[in-house]
Amino acid sequence: MRGVLFIIFLLLLPVSPCSVFAQETGALDVTGRVRIGKAQEKIVRKRFYLFKGGLTANKDLVERIKNSQSTTRDCFYCGLKASSEYINWLRAEDCESPYCREITEADVAKVPEFQAAYTKSLRQYGNRPAVARKWLTTNLAPELRDGFYRSHKADLAKVLGDQKPLQSSMTDSVSVRATFIDLPIAAGAKNETYLISNILPIVIKDKSYIWICEADVNSAKRTNLVLQVPDGDKPVRRCEVIVRDVPQCKEGTCSAK
Amino acid sequence: MQGGNLLSEMRRLLNIALLTLIAVIFAGHWAFDVDAQNRGRFSHSTAQHKKLNCSACHKIPTSNWASTSGFPDVQDYPGHASCVSCHRQDFFRGNQPAFCGVCHSVVGPRGKARFPFPHPTRNSDFSTIFPHNVHQDVIAEFAPPRDERPYAVAHFVMASFSPLRNDDPPPTFNNCAICHETVSKTPRHAVRISPGMKPLTDAAAETFEPKAGFFKDMPTGHAACFTCHYQGPKPTATDCAGCHGLTASTPKTGVVFKRYSIKFDHLQKEHSTRDCMTCHVRISQNADLKTLKDADVPFITCVQCHNDKISEEMGKRVESLTNNQAPFQCVYCHSTAVGRFPLPPSHEKR
Repeated sequence: MRGVLFIIFLLLLPVSPCSVFAQETGALDVTGRVRIGKAQEKIVRKRFYLFKGGLTANKDLVERIKNSQSTTRDCFYCGLKASSEYINWLRAEDCESPYCREITEADVAKVPEFQAAYTKSLRQYGNRPAVARKWLTTNLAPELRDGFYRSHKADLAKVLGDQKPLQSSMTDSVSVRATFIDLPIAAGAKNETYLISNILPIVIKDKSYIWICEADVNSAKRTNLVLQVPDGDKPVRRCEVIVRDVPQCKEGTCSAK
Repeated sequence: MQGGNLLSEMRRLLNIALLTLIAVIFAGHWAFDVDAQNRGRFSHSTAQHKKLNCSACHKIPTSNWASTSGFPDVQDYPGHASCVSCHRQDFFRGNQPAFCGVCHSVVGPRGKARFPFPHPTRNSDFSTIFPHNVHQDVIAEFAPPRDERPYAVAHFVMASFSPLRNDDPPPTFNNCAICHETVSKTPRHAVRISPGMKPLTDAAAETFEPKAGFFKDMPTGHAACFTCHYQGPKPTATDCAGCHGLTASTPKTGVVFKRYSIKFDHLQKEHSTRDCMTCHVRISQNADLKTLKDADVPFITCVQCHNDKISEEMGKRVESLTNNQAPFQCVYCHSTAVGRFPLPPSHEKR
């Protein structure tokens, strides 16, 4: 009988208001204004991933990120034997795919891939120039269209393996900040340590950068993680920053990685 | 004696079996009648319909696309051939078969007119599947300094903004504006109130009315999606289930814009020059519209610019309660319909 009463007590326990503890949470900003040499670069619209635990707790993941290889935009499209006009169109405004800006009539006239897709669209969509141009990407070769995104996705999946990030957030283009909110802080703990990384290299000029940093988050104040690059031999505190030269992929000299 | 008992028990069981059989036959007949009556209301959720591919009935594009949408679209009901293989008998049920009224506004052998497609007032069987995170990634680009370019990053110049109330041209955050444009007419709107909260007092008189520019709309048809997805990348136009998830039948009530802070103006200079993600901080990781309960602008993002004014009002609230006066109603962000409620934990914590 006493056992039954105890079970009933346990069942009732979660609905008792006294048992509802509000989870303490905190917020973290990743600031993407990075001083590289004398210039301040802005890392906008780049995704950062957040994991529970710090550098030590995520040792295996950190190793995987450090050892990962990812194709750069120029090498990817060069490897596809895209025309120099297509690659230049992407480069002109640092686009990763044809989705990043409007394809104008002038672009159609200039870029052979666009011209071919436009002609197909015109035929398919009732000889309507406006529809054909607006819908042009539907007739681009899939690899040219979203191949680079899929390649990045595959690289990311390979690095992550079974490990899932707790959250991800993108830097915006004005405040150049990625914000993580509602980050749980263990009951009774003052801080919670989180690992933040872009995982996929970010290309700035002729170098690519991967940040793997840890930061303590508390419930009292927003934590601000300012991305930095190593100054000579001086490492960045609580961060692993992987800086690599970007391979030069020009027509006829495309390297895979 | 025992044999008599056995016989009586067998009779009893036989009676029960017979009654059950009669009940089943009757129920089946009744169900059939109900089903027949319901055939004036098409449901995608019946077991038989769920077995079919969408393309078994819907043709993409429909033959009327040029005259209706102006782009290859689904703008008409499936043809008779889609229905007849299973519903032949329903075509001939009575003089004006209810079945025909699913598509035809005039029911009868000569009635060709059909309702607009999709029917504007009938319940919807679908919710929309849209991963914001994937779209943010695909449209993202490298990062030249913003002040060196006339527009913000990730831009598809298909959408337009209404004129700003200042002289500067607005940046077009087109990765969002592809789908969310400033509305031209003030839409139906209401205040959003957290469930379970009780107001401290009656709302004071309120004269505030939001303007059209306060609101952004959202896609209601295929136009925004087909532009890229018509035949790739996936989900393509023929993969209806890639975007339309079957749900319980829900009435089309039209969109009502519900806001906690009805006074937020998207076109106000300091707001319109910010990237959408500066405030909609969670949008870049949202993979499912169903988990996006509202526009989702966490309070923390308001505080980063408006802390002084918010603190001032919160101080007034505390002071009024301490002095046993009528609770101060917060009106800097809210109308009094919301400003009369207790401070939520997000505000207390700021």
